[in-house]
Amino acid sequence: MSPTPAATPAPATAAATSPAPAMGRERRPRPGLSVSSARRSASKTLANAVLILLGLCFLIPLSWLVLASLDPEAGYTTELPKTFTLDNFAAVLTPELAFVPLLNSLLLSAGAAALTVVAAVLAAYPLSRYQLRFNKPFLYTVLFGTCLPITAIMVPVYSLFVQLNLLDSLPATTFFMAATFLPMAIWMTKNFMDSVPISLEEAAWMDGASSMKALAHVVVPLMRPGLAVVFIFVFIQAWGNFFVPFILLLSSGKQPAAVSIFRFFGQYGTVAYGQLAAFSILYSIPVILLYVLVSRGIGGSFAMAGAMKG
Amino acid sequence: MTAGTSTRPVRRPGTGPGHGNSGRTGSLWLKLLPLAPAIALLGIFLAGPIIFSVYGSFTNAALTGKNAKDPQFIGPENYADLFRDPNFPQSLWLTVLFVFASAIVGQNLLGLGTALLVNKATKAVAAVVSVCVVAAWVLPEIVAAFVAYAFFFREGTLNQLTATVGVAPVDWLFEHPMLAIILANIWRGTAFSMMVYQAALNDVPQEISESAMIDGAGGALRLWYITLPMIRRSIATNLMLITLQTLAVFTLIYVMTAGGPSRRSATLPVMAYEEAFRYSNIGYGTAIAVVMILIGAVFSVVYIRLLKEK
Amino acid sequence: MRGTRSTSVKSSLSLIAAGLLMLSGCSAGGGGGDAGAGDEATLRIVYQKSGEGSPLDTLMQDVKTQFEAENGNVTVQLEPVEGSDEDYATRLALSQRSPDTAPDVFYEDTFKVRSDVDAGYLLNLDPYLEQWPDWERFNDGAKAAGVADDGATYAVPLGTDTRVIWYNKNVLEAAGVEVPWAPKSWDDILAAARQIKESQPDVVPFNMYAGTGTGEGTVMQSFYELLYGTDSQLYNEDQQKWVVGSQGFVDSLSFLETLYDEELALTPAQALDPNIWQAVFGEYLPEDRMGGVVEGSYSPSFWQEGGMFEWADYGDVMGVAPFPTQNGQEPGAVSMSGGWTLAIGANSQNPDLAFEFLKTAMSQENLLKYTVDNSQIAVRSDIAEDSTYLESNPFVADVSEVVDVTHYRPATSDYPEISTAAQQATEAVITGERSPDEAAADYDAAVRDIVGADNVVEE
Repeated sequence: MSPTPAATPAPATAAATSPAPAMGRERRPRPGLSVSSARRSASKTLANAVLILLGLCFLIPLSWLVLASLDPEAGYTTELPKTFTLDNFAAVLTPELAFVPLLNSLLLSAGAAALTVVAAVLAAYPLSRYQLRFNKPFLYTVLFGTCLPITAIMVPVYSLFVQLNLLDSLPATTFFMAATFLPMAIWMTKNFMDSVPISLEEAAWMDGASSMKALAHVVVPLMRPGLAVVFIFVFIQAWGNFFVPFILLLSSGKQPAAVSIFRFFGQYGTVAYGQLAAFSILYSIPVILLYVLVSRGIGGSFAMAGAMKG
Repeated sequence: MTAGTSTRPVRRPGTGPGHGNSGRTGSLWLKLLPLAPAIALLGIFLAGPIIFSVYGSFTNAALTGKNAKDPQFIGPENYADLFRDPNFPQSLWLTVLFVFASAIVGQNLLGLGTALLVNKATKAVAAVVSVCVVAAWVLPEIVAAFVAYAFFFREGTLNQLTATVGVAPVDWLFEHPMLAIILANIWRGTAFSMMVYQAALNDVPQEISESAMIDGAGGALRLWYITLPMIRRSIATNLMLITLQTLAVFTLIYVMTAGGPSRRSATLPVMAYEEAFRYSNIGYGTAIAVVMILIGAVFSVVYIRLLKEK
Repeated sequence: MRGTRSTSVKSSLSLIAAGLLMLSGCSAGGGGGDAGAGDEATLRIVYQKSGEGSPLDTLMQDVKTQFEAENGNVTVQLEPVEGSDEDYATRLALSQRSPDTAPDVFYEDTFKVRSDVDAGYLLNLDPYLEQWPDWERFNDGAKAAGVADDGATYAVPLGTDTRVIWYNKNVLEAAGVEVPWAPKSWDDILAAARQIKESQPDVVPFNMYAGTGTGEGTVMQSFYELLYGTDSQLYNEDQQKWVVGSQGFVDSLSFLETLYDEELALTPAQALDPNIWQAVFGEYLPEDRMGGVVEGSYSPSFWQEGGMFEWADYGDVMGVAPFPTQNGQEPGAVSMSGGWTLAIGANSQNPDLAFEFLKTAMSQENLLKYTVDNSQIAVRSDIAEDSTYLESNPFVADVSEVVDVTHYRPATSDYPEISTAAQQATEAVITGERSPDEAAADYDAAVRDIVGADNVVEE
């Protein structure tokens, strides 16, 4: 079947069915498969080359991090260490330095991401599926909430947490973080949901399923790549966020890695670069793994086009 | 912003979702019920503090000193001061430049390009390069900032690279601070756009682009006339989200240049942070944040218009 | 839209809030409001934690152990804060805004004392200090840092620091400058620097920080050393007003201009790099590429074993000299001091216990260990004479000598902003954007803008 996504504007659909003449090209007979596959492999080679170059550009700045983490005398200059050592890693792999903060980060980030995704999917459904007068004002209000640098509202947020006696509580901080990413998440989720054809739900309604059932069994499975983007987005933002937990959590046993990283910054502006780099690598691995796992987990990978044949 | 209901579902009483303008409140409430968790989260944790912040911008509240004891309501004086502040126009311009160059042009186009290439390339290459791009994005903020600093500074990676091809070293952070932070932000943020576009392209039914290919539409034309219109909503949403995110970028700039030299990279978030936390003028700092919200609103309105145009 | 909506939203809001409260009811440990009920008491201690086993963390852990052993019914709750100095100040100020979260004892930067007294955060310690014999052993200069506008003392110094000239003997000797070097005026410094430049063109002769990049380092390690050595002031203590239109300000800027224009210091581009000080300690001085620099008394902590830039020979290669006044006028030398204190919350439920805790932290043994570990300058006479302290590095005696001529920053709540204005003036001058006169005029305008015309005094 080839459903026409609801969001597809008419011109595009027209172009899809009768493209060529409009573009001033003579309409040729359909080329054989071999030609197109040859062309395809040529373009594949080019795409590979460009991508590899891009990947290098993104990777090179990270070389400092890797080299410094192996260097007993690391500084700011990117240089091959005179002696390679794993001492930096050994030094940071202690419960107090690494495990507890990373576990806290995990609790905070996974909690916030799960909460956000659930709330966003529920909220996006009516916004995407019904045409209500209420939708627009609501969406715009939510949207303007997203421009706010969270740093700027931390003072009243602190007061609020004091009032509600929620300071130093991991769950409450998780809820707050979820709230801060929710506007973005609602926007993203609604957008992904808009591109899921409604015709599929119709079938479910015919069978007498409620809208919630249709959402759970039809829409959400189809939105998996989109939801994965939302989840990862929130998880990573929460994972690296410093200021929110710094202000709202008091005990150092509850602080996530984003805050405890300051243990590598000493008196008078000293920095233990080697350990900082080693810790940063450890700190980044879980998120990279998450990305790889999630992108694998949804119908092959992000990299596979057409994983979504409705 | 039409919700995607181009085809109207056949409605069975009491089962499927109805149409927006139903007269019975009961069913309207039922429809909006899924919004409750999101509204609750946003209401408690964001709306309250934001309203409080806006109020705070009309006071001379401070973190320390006499005004910390009993802040006075001073009306729009903070805003009047802000528009008289010689630093404000400069910060405003730098912010707009930063958002435009690093998000709207840099992250957006590079993200789209990468997503398209990933669709074309060999699976293994695509997966590895995706991880490289995402690696920059998953680094915790403070670490990414250090990595970017190490890359651009005088004896850093970039100058070491250019030296190998005989180019004299450039003091990027001093001579071109904006260029350095813009490039750093592109490096850091492209992954987000890439993921959004990958998810969006996955939603484009392959039959459509396939049939166009068979009809012989050239790659660029196909992209321009078919693919891009189909992911138009994703483009607009992505632009909006990365704009709002980039508006609030702070740590990266603060670590790399601290807004210097001579305020030549002091964007509004840097200015707001300095006023609120370094000089403890909470009221004034919040006023700057409110101005940032307005800027975000202006950008958002433009994107919404773009969405509506077609 | 409809009346029903708002009520249902409200009720769902309160439901969520109630749920949150239940969720966090067991874990919310922020408030210390119940302290003092019955015999059981809890003291909450907030301080900055940098690094595992950092000197301050060690001190607080030790004091907690000692204090709880002596007072069986008291629980000491340590709340270390991990973050930069500014982040720490933010967290502390936020916690002080509410009596529920205000700590009993906390670590407080000397230059925040006055403005935090204005804000009503700190307890007046005079009645307690009268009853504490050890207080007499604290040095007067350091005591002054805890005094507010009303003349009462609100904070007890943990330690202090000074700024002196650190010079590289190899470079000076190669240039024919006599070692030990003791410049008597600004001109002496310039003369030696020019001599170094002539003999060793690749060496940075004499560096003084400038610009906003190095932040507070620019004023403490450079600009104030100059300004406080002129006949002008930054702040008029008697009238409690900021000084504008001062000749000393212009002269100090002119000196920096000369230093940078004649290429006697680092390049302006380098000076504006926030991390340039690391290159100074880690590369320029150890590699004989810099003649001298004005830096803090804690410099040896970078070069010692286990420091950030270990350098085995630093004790033999480096020398120390007090920074001279402009023309050698009295008292002949000048230094700036910062430092940290312990203070007690104005609304502490247990002020007596809190002061007992502070006294334990300030005991001779505890403070000696902290002073040595943290490369501080002793503030207690019985520590200053202690051999452990005097032998902790080769320069202790030299950097302690200038305590007699040292100055503290005017710690009003406007200070941070004014400091930035001064840093901007130095930046405008070394980059050639403004002449010293113009930059000083800009500064004056900025100060008037920050504190209001009523709070400035023309010199």
